[in-house]
Amino acid sequence: MAKRVAVVGVAQTACRASMKENSRDITYNLVKGLLDEAGLKREDIGTIISGTSDWSTGIACSNEYFIDAYGGFGKSMSKTEEDSALAFVYAVMRVMSGHYDLAIAHGITKMSEIPDPSTISTFVGNPFFERQFGLQKYSAAALQCRLYMDKCGITHEQMAKVVEKNRRNATKNPFAHLRKAVSVNKVMKSGTVASPLRELDISPQSDGACAILIASEEKAKQFTKKPAWVAGMGWAVDHSVFSDRDLLNQVLPDAAKRAYGMAGIKDPVKDIDVAEVCDRFSFEEMLWYEGLGFCKKGEGGKIMDKGLTQMDGRLPVNPSGGVLASNPYCARGLVRIGEAALQVMGKAEDRQIPRAKCALAHSTHGLAGQHHTVVVLKG
Amino acid sequence: MARAVAIVGSGQTKHGRRDDVNFPELIHEAVERALQDVNMTPKDIDAVVSGSMPAFMEGMNMMHLYWSDALGGYKKPHIRVATCGTTGMSIAQIAYYHVASGMFDVVLAVGGEKMHEGDPQGTMNYVADPYFSRPFMSGAPGIFAWQTNEYSFRYGVSDERIRNAAALISVDRRDWGLLNPYAHVKTKVTVEDVLKARIIAYPVRLLDVCPSSDGACAVIFCSEKAVKKLGRKVAWVKGVGYAGDEVWLCDGDKVYWESAVTAAKAAYSMAGIKNPIKELDVAEIYNPFTFQELIYFESFGFCDKGKACELVEKGVILKGGELPCDPSGGVLCTNPIGATGLIRVAEAAMQVTGNAGDHQIPGAKTAFSHAMGCMNQINGVMIVSSEL
Amino acid sequence: MAQDTKAGRVFEDRVSLPFRYALGTTMTRFFDEFKDKKIMGTKCPSCKKVFVPARYFCSRCFDKMKEWVQVKDTGVVETWTMITYKYSGQDREPPYITAQIRLDGADVKFLHYIGGVDMSDLEKVREFVKTGMKVRAKWRASRNGNIHDIEYFEPA
Repeated sequence: MAKRVAVVGVAQTACRASMKENSRDITYNLVKGLLDEAGLKREDIGTIISGTSDWSTGIACSNEYFIDAYGGFGKSMSKTEEDSALAFVYAVMRVMSGHYDLAIAHGITKMSEIPDPSTISTFVGNPFFERQFGLQKYSAAALQCRLYMDKCGITHEQMAKVVEKNRRNATKNPFAHLRKAVSVNKVMKSGTVASPLRELDISPQSDGACAILIASEEKAKQFTKKPAWVAGMGWAVDHSVFSDRDLLNQVLPDAAKRAYGMAGIKDPVKDIDVAEVCDRFSFEEMLWYEGLGFCKKGEGGKIMDKGLTQMDGRLPVNPSGGVLASNPYCARGLVRIGEAALQVMGKAEDRQIPRAKCALAHSTHGLAGQHHTVVVLKG
Repeated sequence: MARAVAIVGSGQTKHGRRDDVNFPELIHEAVERALQDVNMTPKDIDAVVSGSMPAFMEGMNMMHLYWSDALGGYKKPHIRVATCGTTGMSIAQIAYYHVASGMFDVVLAVGGEKMHEGDPQGTMNYVADPYFSRPFMSGAPGIFAWQTNEYSFRYGVSDERIRNAAALISVDRRDWGLLNPYAHVKTKVTVEDVLKARIIAYPVRLLDVCPSSDGACAVIFCSEKAVKKLGRKVAWVKGVGYAGDEVWLCDGDKVYWESAVTAAKAAYSMAGIKNPIKELDVAEIYNPFTFQELIYFESFGFCDKGKACELVEKGVILKGGELPCDPSGGVLCTNPIGATGLIRVAEAAMQVTGNAGDHQIPGAKTAFSHAMGCMNQINGVMIVSSEL
Repeated sequence: MAQDTKAGRVFEDRVSLPFRYALGTTMTRFFDEFKDKKIMGTKCPSCKKVFVPARYFCSRCFDKMKEWVQVKDTGVVETWTMITYKYSGQDREPPYITAQIRLDGADVKFLHYIGGVDMSDLEKVREFVKTGMKVRAKWRASRNGNIHDIEYFEPA
């Protein structure tokens, strides 16, 4: 029987456009803070899994760059690439195995250190017949958005409502990068970047880091009366070639099904109290509602209009402001999990959803949602 | 106590210069062979893990997405790990934890590299921090050269003696490589050839170093429940160890190598091994450079400090010795970096299940596999056995 | 010789990307002082080791290091090698000698070049460059606050 595992501590930096310190020292401060708060020393941690990106750090084998900064000297540790939500699931699996009682998951990206993220993302595309057409994260999302609008009738206004909601939520989140609200009107009037995407439909580039303390069932209660138990985890990957993929029928339902199955979730809207999803683009959030089973296919815009996912709605999504307010690339997945954990632990401060007992965290990376991770936490 | 995990089969490509296939096709070759080895299809696989060197070595980003279809990964859980030279071992270990956690029963682990599609040394230079170390890097050879010179100075080993021991290793591993159908380099050399070869980074010479290979390896890990259904001899994972040194390569001891010692001890402890030379039947060591093996023998407790040359001279770790090392030919004959660590694991599993063909060590029951990465900064070990 | 399988057609490309790594407070101060010909380390309050170049935290004790210590620009070679092979993107033309040097006052080694030595012949180099030999930094006349402000270390 797999052991029960919980999140018992969350540390995140205040994300900004550019942080002065170097990424190793940022990591050290974050992890030291997490340990100090838990009354732990570096020696007490069994294993650390980090989620970073070589391209987005400018260091080949970026795993090595952070080992001692997250307290990993002499320890068994590893690195999952591009997505720290996967660092979390791996760290949890290590604790579930019984080999370790205490683990840390870590993620960091300083987008300020990478002046050309668009160029870097062109290298995700197939080198022989897709890269040549400028396929990268924005153009891929734009193609998907166009399809979503044409097939399901999603409107610019609905997209702008997502932005307005998240940016408004972020005004209460001291860790978010963009903390000023924007109106639906302002979003709709912002200039076109890659039609139909407008400037404010797109998340910012942020510097930020996150570290989460994970404990086995035996140890969890030592740290908090309300651990956030890992109830379910699922992740899935799509086809390689962009044009092979059905952009509106992704693999998110497969990832969600695995997580829901483990967590005993039968009706997501009823069973889940709050969700943190990875909304790199405004329209994506609505598409993720569908993939996560919050509504029927094609109805993401409808539930946005109905206000289901507002702070006072039936299933608030992104009380932290989400990725549209804060996008420290690799760290953003772990931040979703951290925010979800804070919700069920009752520690989400001004962005707390009252009586949140079951929270969902979602992360994605790759062109137009090529890979998805879903984690369900319960209080 | 973690769930029991076994390696049930594996597949490798013909390693070498593979301009005949693109990268996904190379991966597919290894995956197909692994599935055939165990008579499975992608439907039987619950999850996939993969890895390679920094993706920009092959001019790609998010390599796992590029490989997704080639490994039958559509809709499956798939995580990419990337830990430099230890990637292959990290892939094996994440696959192990997928099963040991209780979440999955059948996991496909895939590592690969196409060294000829990019600039490996140029990429590897970017492993070093840009502020203090990068200008003084000279690819891999420089790092191993420093380590070797520090070793021989510490133990007062003469230049002649250490070069001779290294040459014996080079000859032995290359002889083994001739018996491995997948090995890249297949050359017969003499001790004299090695001693006379061109100098690269003193004291390392041309025949002391590994090739740059294209290649891939796929290994299938299963739970006890899944193993029962297969009804075949399997390699149980008995010991797992992994440890990293700090980022500053001038800080720690790389002679009695801290991370290598720690990783081996952790694996031995889990496997209940107290006397490696006696209890291990074969070892697949990550040896891109002959000299470095000497340091591993001591760090893994195969002999006392300063006694590695003696171990070689007595033939203990050569063919026919008490603990033959690298019967696959080792990294010295084949080095597609992202796969290399995983190949060590696959070869160890092949040995204890009697599937190593012409390079089989007769009666091998317990095998040690190892990988090393970054600038002499991380080491990982996995010990497998035919007995649970 | 490596066995080549049948070659196929290839598609060629070349990429160059800019990066700008933040130094942070500690490394900024290190390089400012370096420009003034001062080599600074930081001392760990727990293990008392002096680390050069100065850094923010001790990797093993995991404590912040706030005590700055100046070390000498002389030291002892702990290991070295001479590089005589070429590859693309190399910082300088071979032959050149790199070494790990324990500077006087530091508890860890420092990476840099050895120069002021005739590198035409390995055996000649081995007469001059030995593990355990004392070396001294040769500072450049014009310095920019980076690791190359020292041109190389020469036999002292």
